Amino acid sequence: MDLDDYRIDKEPYYRALGNEVALFEAAFTARMPMMLKGPTGSGKTRFIEYMAWKLNKPLLTVSCHEDMTASDLVGRFLLDAQGTVWNDGPLTLAVRHGGICYLDEIVEARQDTTVVIHSLTDERRILPLEKKNEVIKAHPDFYVVISYNPGYQSVLKDLKESTKQRFGAIDFNYPPADLEAEIVAHESGVDDKVAALLVKIAGRSRNLKGHGLDEGASTRMLVHAGQLVSRGIPLGEACQVALVLPITDDPDMRDALTSAIAACA
Amino acid sequence: MKTTQSAKFLKVVSPDGEGDEERLLTPAARRAFPDDLAARWLRACRKLAQAGYGEAIVTSYVRNSPAIAEILGPEIAIEMADPVSAITIKAKRKAGALLPWAALKAAERLKNEQLFRSWLGVIERFAALAPESVAPVLEKMDTLLAELNVSRLEAWVLAGVRSGGGDKARRLRFFTFADPQAKLWLQRESGGVVFTDMERRLKAYLTALWRLRIPIREPSPGAGEQSRRRVSFDRGLILLPPTFPGYRGLQAEEVFRASLAHVAAHFMYSREKFPLRSLKPLQVALVSLIEDARVEHLAMRDFPGLRRLWLPFHIAQASGASTAPSLLARLSRALIDPGFEDADGWVRKGRERFFAREDEWENPQISREIGGLLGNDLGQMRVQFNPRTYVVEPPYHDDNMGLWDFNDPDSENFEEAELLFESVRFEQQQEDDTSSPDRERKSEGEADEVNRAALSREAYQEEGIPVARYPEYDYVTGRERGEWTTIVEYQPKPGPAGLIERILEDRHDTVNRITALIRSARVGRAERLKRQAEGELLDIDACIEAVVSRKIGVTPDPHVYATMGRRHRDLSVLVLLDISESTKDKVLGEMATVLDLERQATALLAHAMDGLGDPFAIAAFCSNRREEVRYYRIKDFAEPYDAMARSSLAGLEGGLSTRIGAVIRHAGVDLAGQSTHRRLLLIVTDGEPSDVDVTDKKYLVEDARKAVNSLAGAGIDTFCVGLDSGGDSYLTRIFGRQNVVQIDRLERLPERLPMLYFRLTS
Ligand SMILES: Nc1ncnc2c1ncn2[C@@H]1O[C@H](COP(=O)(O)OP(=O)(O)OP(=O)(O)O)[C@@H](O)[C@H]1O
Ligand SMILES: [Mg+2]
Repeated sequence: MDLDDYRIDKEPYYRALGNEVALFEAAFTARMPMMLKGPTGSGKTRFIEYMAWKLNKPLLTVSCHEDMTASDLVGRFLLDAQGTVWNDGPLTLAVRHGGICYLDEIVEARQDTTVVIHSLTDERRILPLEKKNEVIKAHPDFYVVISYNPGYQSVLKDLKESTKQRFGAIDFNYPPADLEAEIVAHESGVDDKVAALLVKIAGRSRNLKGHGLDEGASTRMLVHAGQLVSRGIPLGEACQVALVLPITDDPDMRDALTSAIAACA
Repeated sequence: MKTTQSAKFLKVVSPDGEGDEERLLTPAARRAFPDDLAARWLRACRKLAQAGYGEAIVTSYVRNSPAIAEILGPEIAIEMADPVSAITIKAKRKAGALLPWAALKAAERLKNEQLFRSWLGVIERFAALAPESVAPVLEKMDTLLAELNVSRLEAWVLAGVRSGGGDKARRLRFFTFADPQAKLWLQRESGGVVFTDMERRLKAYLTALWRLRIPIREPSPGAGEQSRRRVSFDRGLILLPPTFPGYRGLQAEEVFRASLAHVAAHFMYSREKFPLRSLKPLQVALVSLIEDARVEHLAMRDFPGLRRLWLPFHIAQASGASTAPSLLARLSRALIDPGFEDADGWVRKGRERFFAREDEWENPQISREIGGLLGNDLGQMRVQFNPRTYVVEPPYHDDNMGLWDFNDPDSENFEEAELLFESVRFEQQQEDDTSSPDRERKSEGEADEVNRAALSREAYQEEGIPVARYPEYDYVTGRERGEWTTIVEYQPKPGPAGLIERILEDRHDTVNRITALIRSARVGRAERLKRQAEGELLDIDACIEAVVSRKIGVTPDPHVYATMGRRHRDLSVLVLLDISESTKDKVLGEMATVLDLERQATALLAHAMDGLGDPFAIAAFCSNRREEVRYYRIKDFAEPYDAMARSSLAGLEGGLSTRIGAVIRHAGVDLAGQSTHRRLLLIVTDGEPSDVDVTDKKYLVEDARKAVNSLAGAGIDTFCVGLDSGGDSYLTRIFGRQNVVQIDRLERLPERLPMLYFRLTS
């Protein structure tokens, strides 16, 4: 079995912000597990898709959640007419056949779930399947990448130190204004001027991080706002829908943002 | 005199209660107090009569209470006799006699028993703080309540008490409206847009646009008329009038916003202050005017939308008279409004000169030049300029104080120029409330709590007991010094436990939200619990395993069910409060101290933790050198959260320093004894670690960081709530970026802390 279905055949649009592409390639060559850190909507998912395409490897993405168990990653026995059959989970698939396993928002998973990757992310590169009495040696192309949003404040949800320290990390932050405008223009179809304006608006909301907002507007939000604008919605309204209303319920912050947006144009 | 009075009064109520029923129980009274209520009401009347306050008081109560009962029900009308007698004792007979009458007015206006009770509460507290002023205020109660609701009435009353300080005569002047401040405060409280209503959003607005966070104050009540009408600024401080008279509703909101945006533009683009030198007042006014336009244009380059904010306030008409104020206002308008046409030669010249230098707008010097030239022109035109009456137009522009350097030794025309700026000097802006009504209020409240706290008070010891020594880490040598600090445990001084209940009452909104959150944390968010011995669902994974086990001849695991249920919260928390000296500071715009807010927040948090059933402890700390790191146990894990614990919380007082590392270690020991899966140390602190025997700021920070790390090693999480807006750097250094949250507005701490706890532990 190969993982052709998991290959990305069209080049995803990714605007490099620094040397993250080269760094990632080097880490991949060394098979050093990677952690993509950064606030929501800052391009982590897009980056990994781009890298999978560039390295021409299958990409198996798992969105982690609280209820996830180790079986959801590793696999489980299922019943069929003959009795029971084993069914590889996404992690096992990548281990067996070689591919990038991307664990998105890993902190959402419980810690007893995430420890299953420990033996895969150190020198051993093996995956024991206790239930099957099998130990799989990882395929040379097997590679683990996790994403991690450090802004998320819950002491009950953090990676174990022993998990963290197995990874190298790339920091994703909001791109510099001109690059971010380029991305927004490309993704939403608005012209350069509108894109630059949206980025300026995002800057206002990011100034409020920690002073009333938990997080500023992400590139994703700007793309959303741009998509509305390019479909004929006036800028102010588009920003309300895509940015102000989703980002906070606090009336004072909404007012401050709305007025700051009005000042921008 | 006395005898005649009581003789007359005997006609109404006889103190021995003989034969007065007929006279008292008028049809109205019978209607208001039916059946056995009548007896209780009569008893209340007689009690007042027996107290010997005089006829007027009894009569007033007898006449007004039935009408109050009609509106609010008989209970409160009867109970009201107690406040009547309390007010009579505290604030003299006139006030006592006025109270039932004023109460009827209040009842008519408020129409709600709850509100009425709080109104009575306000009057009683007022009588304790300013007894001499109760009567005049009661006389005006009807008009006051026409404009104010109860909490605004209280705010107004407290403002008067504060502005009068300990001086009776001054207070009386305020409350008889002889002092114009009274009216001003009334306006402020009566719902015109008041800055404090918008403070938070406007501050956020400046932060959003320019990352500016500048403290905003009201000009002191003693400041001159000028500075109460315009915004003013100096390095690091903005003085904003509490209201802009004449602006209502949305417009009032915009004038605040426009003012702050204008001042912010000065902060961003006006650099050095201008030296006064030999400039004449007119030139000063004109240089300021050009400077205003210059910074606004620079701001509009970044934020073009600001023009829409500022423009509507420029209402000068080209047809105006050729007086200086009119010409200046028109020039102001011409400089910002491209559509404005003014045929006046001087205005046109000013505009041309200004726009001819567009390339140099970055340079403040051009304001000096252009303003100076325009001043000369105006002088030659013999236009009169009176610095005494000149007020900057439009109203959102500042008074220009912040632009000029008054200490410039070369200034020749200092005094003249000073006229322009009349009175505000920032030094005057000292806090002027030396007497704190809040404190007085507290001691008053204490009186009725004596009994409840008496028990714990007996056991109270002044002396602390040294209980442990801990090492301290010296980052310079990279080593720990053994047994370097001594923890001395003190018993908290008991305070009125009722204070904590009152906090919960006052914050009932937050309490309601907490209750809802507790409920949903208890019942909500059911998860699928797998591998149960019984349950309403089959756990497919377990079933398959069981089948597999059977096939290979092993005894299957019987845990094949799943059920929907709530996982146990398995968490204990120790809340550690910083009560060092700085927590005695008043919080801006509040009458409460930092410690008061910590107390309120902890009361609410404890309410939440108690409701959730999480095991918790509360302690407070401060330090006095390494030999005496004080630790106050308010509630231990094993103790219930009862009146004793609440009384300890209520009694906390601030003082001394913040040697935080030692306390973290000590709290860690307590937490280590907890057997829960998660153990959390939650620290509330308002400042940088410090102690009198330490000069190197970094030392205690590094030690604290070390302590936090060693707790982490023992599986204890530490989280810090920072109350110092400048605390980012050292707090992140100690606790790690993710484990710190800064409270941007201290007064919101009480509602934020419990919410944070829910979020932190969800
Ligand atoms: N450097 C970039 N190049 C191209 N597109 C980008 C870039 N950064 C952000 N984007 C745009 O932002 C959107 C959101 O990015 P993405 O989904 O990768 O965010 P994320 O970091 O994975 O967020 P989350 O943590 O919420 O999953 C993308 O769909 C893309 O449109
Ligand atoms: Mg100005």
